[in-house]
Amino acid sequence: MATATFPKKPPSPNNAYVVAHVEPTPATQVYLPEIFKGLAVAMRHFFRNTKEMVRNERPDPVTESIAQGITTISYPEQKRPYPERFRGLHRLTQRDDGSPRCVACLCCSTACPAQCIFIEAGEYPEGDPRRGYERYPVKFVIDELRCIFCGYCVEACPCDAIRMDTGLHAVPYDSREQFIYRKDLLLAQASRDGSHLTANPRHEPGDETHPGVTREHMTH
Amino acid sequence: MPTFTYDGKTIPFEPGETIIKAAYRQGIEIPHYCWHPGLSSPANCRMCLVEIAPPPGQRGMMLDVLEWDAAIGDYKPRQKPKLQPSCQIPAAEGMQVKGDTSDNVKEARKGVQEFLLLNHPVDCPICDQSGECKLQDYWVEHGQYQKRMRDEPIHKPKAVRFGPSIVYDAERCVMCTRCIRFMDEVAKDPVLDMRERGNLNEIFVAPGKELTGHYTFMTEHVCPVGALTTVDFRFKARVWFLRTAKSVCQGCATGCNSHLDYDPRYNKVYRYRPRDNEQVNAYWMCDEGMVSYKRAHEGRLIEPRVKGSVVAVKKALAEAKSYFEAVPGETVAVVLSAQHSLEDNWALRELAGAYLGTRAIYATGLAEGYHDAILIHEDKNPNTRGVLELASGVRPFSSLLDDIEAGRVTHVIALGGETPADASAELGERAKHALERLQALVVIAAHEGLLAHAAHVLLPAASWAEASGTYVNAKGIHQVTEKAIEPQGASEPAWKLVADVGQALGYDTSWTKLKQVRARWTSAPTVPDATAVSPSPQASQTP
Repeated sequence: MATATFPKKPPSPNNAYVVAHVEPTPATQVYLPEIFKGLAVAMRHFFRNTKEMVRNERPDPVTESIAQGITTISYPEQKRPYPERFRGLHRLTQRDDGSPRCVACLCCSTACPAQCIFIEAGEYPEGDPRRGYERYPVKFVIDELRCIFCGYCVEACPCDAIRMDTGLHAVPYDSREQFIYRKDLLLAQASRDGSHLTANPRHEPGDETHPGVTREHMTH
Repeated sequence: MPTFTYDGKTIPFEPGETIIKAAYRQGIEIPHYCWHPGLSSPANCRMCLVEIAPPPGQRGMMLDVLEWDAAIGDYKPRQKPKLQPSCQIPAAEGMQVKGDTSDNVKEARKGVQEFLLLNHPVDCPICDQSGECKLQDYWVEHGQYQKRMRDEPIHKPKAVRFGPSIVYDAERCVMCTRCIRFMDEVAKDPVLDMRERGNLNEIFVAPGKELTGHYTFMTEHVCPVGALTTVDFRFKARVWFLRTAKSVCQGCATGCNSHLDYDPRYNKVYRYRPRDNEQVNAYWMCDEGMVSYKRAHEGRLIEPRVKGSVVAVKKALAEAKSYFEAVPGETVAVVLSAQHSLEDNWALRELAGAYLGTRAIYATGLAEGYHDAILIHEDKNPNTRGVLELASGVRPFSSLLDDIEAGRVTHVIALGGETPADASAELGERAKHALERLQALVVIAAHEGLLAHAAHVLLPAASWAEASGTYVNAKGIHQVTEKAIEPQGASEPAWKLVADVGQALGYDTSWTKLKQVRARWTSAPTVPDATAVSPSPQASQTP
């Protein structure tokens, strides 16, 4: 009769070691000295910080993380500089006439892995020079709570209409509703240098500069 | 059947068939823009060029070309076979055709692609065709070059209004002339033509005319690029978000095969597209049919009502039960609907025949309307033949009114909200008064209509877009639709609601799955003879 075989216990990993058992002694069981040691560390930092604050010796916020000394800064009076490629909150770029450059192609919302962008496309109203040529976003909504700031929307945009160059990071609002950024707000956000426009202008149908045919025969 | 070979694959063909069509029927796509299986071949896009080996013992047609030889740093004369458009060359027995396997063909396709894109504005973000555009697809397959032209492309009229439903963009047009040929050959209304030449070539509408009629949407659907767009679908949705269900048009008794495109994220239907079926609609659909997708959302009934006020389903069923307690079977009538599927009608007929014991079976549906010799049928109901098949000799709606007025019918269970009385004011007035005389009217309907408004108990049924169903078209062909969107509101498939009503009335109506319904109706022995009461001369006509 075959004996039942049980799976073997896996061997200990090579990097495992047994911690030596330490017998409790009065020295380890009396915890008060350790408490005072800890308090001493805290007080040392407290007095040093106070002294440096009074003497105005606070280190530079960039070098302070390397240097010995305090590890905090007085946000928001002081801010750490962001890296050059920091992705701030979104903005929608504008044309010279203030209309959004967005043509509601939905490439950004297609690329968005968090699915935080909602766009409703529409046609320009009667009488608009872009009527019939182009679509525009009737609604453009970004849920900044869902956004993971991956920047795919910026990469996907064929019109350079959405950018993440505002230099703003997510603001602590007190309700979820405030994180739902709509078209007007996104259009109103400026880039770090204060511009609402894009660095990549182009001729667009409907622009006066566009070398198109005359539109006289095109009643629409 | 004779055969020829394309890239080594043996393809059978019928005598006289072109190479491209024979390959298309075998599921092999030779790239093309201007060719369409249902239209004539102008061979003007040159995308379908193939290399055909000369017949045995004959010299092939060759072209003298200069080819750059990098090794000697100079052009070298070479002979190259003359390629031929596969959309115009009839296949012949034993013909040897090379497509993807021929370098000459590959070069030609790349050249054609480059030529077509010379002046094409790459405004894919604005263009509705992106995602289903042949230019995009073939560029990936056969193009993949850097753009060499550094000039400003030629600008041509954009957003030209061809008619109330079609907008034309000349810049995007590749001059395949499919729209011209469609209007000419299928719609028999040749209002489109071409003007100018070369770079300035554009499609235009005959002066003083507009692109109107019953087949304007098809011009957009045959367009391989985004040159023609319909006002209806324009800028509404991006096609890559849409899912497609194989459906059947509900517009008339022709029962055109169609694709129903919907967005699952919003549970919304966006458009109809024709689906190829040589036996029914070939490749076409009419305008009325194509915009009829809107009925998936317009005029829908999505909540149960008792005498007009919204209630829960349970409450509505209990109400229905209270109406039907101690009612003699003779005064109960059921009304089938030519607007509903065979499954729905079967369930109600089963309830009537096997459980209620009523022999008074009537049918409703929309009134007759416009018809033509191309696709549009005068009967505006998709399932009239189905209703007649289920219960031969059902009586029309007007005889239901007669019977109500004569007091022979006092309790009615009806399917479908629409009646022929919806369109006619005179009949409508009469129907309204007649239906008011009823002691009980239980209506299971997906769409609003006279019956639905008069109902004492109204149960919301799923529309054709929300449930799979079988429809029998005027030719008697059974066609099954796929479910597209989820049922809206509290709506449920009508056959299920019929079962619920039956159970509320205390019957053993136990079909709970579509499969069961289909299995039972194909083997159902209980066909009540509706003609037994009083045969009507119009019974075999449209109800």
